Amino acid sequence: GVPSDEEQATGLERKTLEAMKKGQDPYNILKPKGNSGTKEDPHIVPSVNRKRLVGCICEEDNSAVIWFWLHEGESQRCPSCGAHYKLAHYDVPH
Amino acid sequence: MAHQTHAYHMVDPSPWPLTGATAALLLTSGLAMWFHYNSTTLMALGLLTTLMTMMQWWRDIVRESTFQGHHTMPVQKGLRYGMILFITSEVFFFIGFFWAFYHSSLAPTPELGGNWPPTGIHPLNPFEVPLLNTAVLLASGVTITWAHHSLMAANRNQSIQALTITVTLGLYFTALQAMEYYEAPFTIADGVYGSTFFVATGFHGLHVIIGSTFLIVCLLRLIKFHFTTAHHFGFEAAAWYGHFVDVVWLFLYISIYWWG
Repeated sequence: GVPSDEEQATGLERKTLEAMKKGQDPYNILKPKGNSGTKEDPHIVPSVNRKRLVGCICEEDNSAVIWFWLHEGESQRCPSCGAHYKLAHYDVPH
Repeated sequence: MAHQTHAYHMVDPSPWPLTGATAALLLTSGLAMWFHYNSTTLMALGLLTTLMTMMQWWRDIVRESTFQGHHTMPVQKGLRYGMILFITSEVFFFIGFFWAFYHSSLAPTPELGGNWPPTGIHPLNPFEVPLLNTAVLLASGVTITWAHHSLMAANRNQSIQALTITVTLGLYFTALQAMEYYEAPFTIADGVYGSTFFVATGFHGLHVIIGSTFLIVCLLRLIKFHFTTAHHFGFEAAAWYGHFVDVVWLFLYISIYWWG
């Protein structure tokens, strides 16, 4: 018959399919979950490294994006609007 | 060992865009040489290089997708947008020729006898071969849908059979149209009627040939197990293109064959 993705997908495509099946999204295919950005509920920023660039669009349609490095550890706040961001480490599937 | 953390495909360096551009240059200058200096060498070179570029470029895409797994969901989404935009551009290409046809046929000049079809032109009977051609293309739309559903239902035999019938219908259309061209009582040189008729139907015929070729490649890939039940965008792209070609024919049939 006709093969299924389960049988025949390979490479990166296979990795994304297998991760999705486990409820994971290591390649950032989906939009991030909409956290509120408060101290109790910071925006979660996944990263394979110990720091990642964040671009905060403080209000919808703002054209000036606020860029800053987010380091692992305690959550940081956007220097313009004060939203909280927290780095969450993860590993890409090998 | 640094692996990418995104799902997109950063393509390896490739010579085919360069050979494609070269081929385009050879083809266009070759056309000029043929039109004005009665020489076909450059054009033949252009056709050859175009063909070689297409075959190798698309072969590489099959390798990258089916064999190496680079076509994740976001990549496939991009390809879908691309195909739709391309077909849209082709729609506008044909709109130009329909514009030309209606410009000349809605207000026929005195040189034509003030009527359409122009005096002296005996148009083809739309209820003979052109009607058969319409049925052939509409049927091919049905069979390719059958093939698609069979593919998604993992029914290999029916999928192959249906796609084979689709290809056969496409080739049948081409053969019928070629015969019509040969037997037609008017030529491209017969005033604006001949020009609009043969340029519009001619480009359509070329697109049928392109569509049939695409479908034949899909048939070969289907037989070689390239497609899965959920991932077979090459097939879908060919199906979209086939439907587009069918729709253009319907407009041609109504406007030029029937109303014209």
